Amino acid sequence: MEFKELDPILHSQLRLAVMSLLISVKEAEFTFLKEKTNATSGNLSVQISKLKEAGYIEIIKQFNNNYPQTICKITPEGIIAFENYVKALQSYMTL
Amino acid sequence: MKNDEIRMSEKESLELIASMINTAKNRVGETGTLYLLWGWLILFCCIVQFIAVHFFNYSNSYYIWFSTWILLIYQFFYIGKQQKFNKVKTYTGEINGFVWLVFFICLMLVIFIGTYLKRYEIINPMILVLYGMPTFLSGIILKFKSLIIGGICCWLLSILSVFIPGDYQLLLTAAAIIAGWIIPGYLLKKNYKKADNGI
Repeated sequence: MEFKELDPILHSQLRLAVMSLLISVKEAEFTFLKEKTNATSGNLSVQISKLKEAGYIEIIKQFNNNYPQTICKITPEGIIAFENYVKALQSYMTL
Repeated sequence: MKNDEIRMSEKESLELIASMINTAKNRVGETGTLYLLWGWLILFCCIVQFIAVHFFNYSNSYYIWFSTWILLIYQFFYIGKQQKFNKVKTYTGEINGFVWLVFFICLMLVIFIGTYLKRYEIINPMILVLYGMPTFLSGIILKFKSLIIGGICCWLLSILSVFIPGDYQLLLTAAAIIAGWIIPGYLLKKNYKKADNGI
């Protein structure tokens, strides 16, 4: 049986948690991701930047009532990568 | 979650995915406020118009319905304010919004067509049919049984309204509003408070 390689960008606890949250919603604020993952702002910031560099998520920075707001959204590439990651995991699990 | 480079087993990865998807999915976020505001206002309008027509034979009683425009204006501000505080936008929330927009457009068209063609007797039964549509669909979208039951009640009352004379149809609308919006509204509010305290 052929093993599919696990995407190193997704095979990390916090990045995978962020992607799993974003795949279920249309878009989410940075504070929502922070609250749900219990991560620190600094760490979360670094990890979402990595996801953005990989083209898996889109980050929109805007102002809401004079307060800066960071909105994260999964991209079509991100959805494909996530699906491939789950398929790869399943191929390991069915062993 | 502290270290992002913690190595996970395949099983742990799948568990993490499932738990995060559930966290996001369980956010119904429906407070029931709009169901209650609209429910009580329409109930009030129905009862006032019924009393005015049935007991006082006051033909201009339909003016009471203009009060709904005030609530409509308030609703625009309320939704705008809510959106500022919402940290997440879900697909279900978006679809649900469109369901209610379609309902509003259909409602306006039915009232316009019925009034223009002077087919007043058909307006109330058609409104009951329309009340059932967004109520039932919201129940399916939010997976909320009492809204589904409420929607079905509206449709059953619409059938009944065909056999009921004019002013008594207003009482059927009142019953539909209680079953479709007011009771589910309070249950949604209760659920929202419970979920909020649970976080």
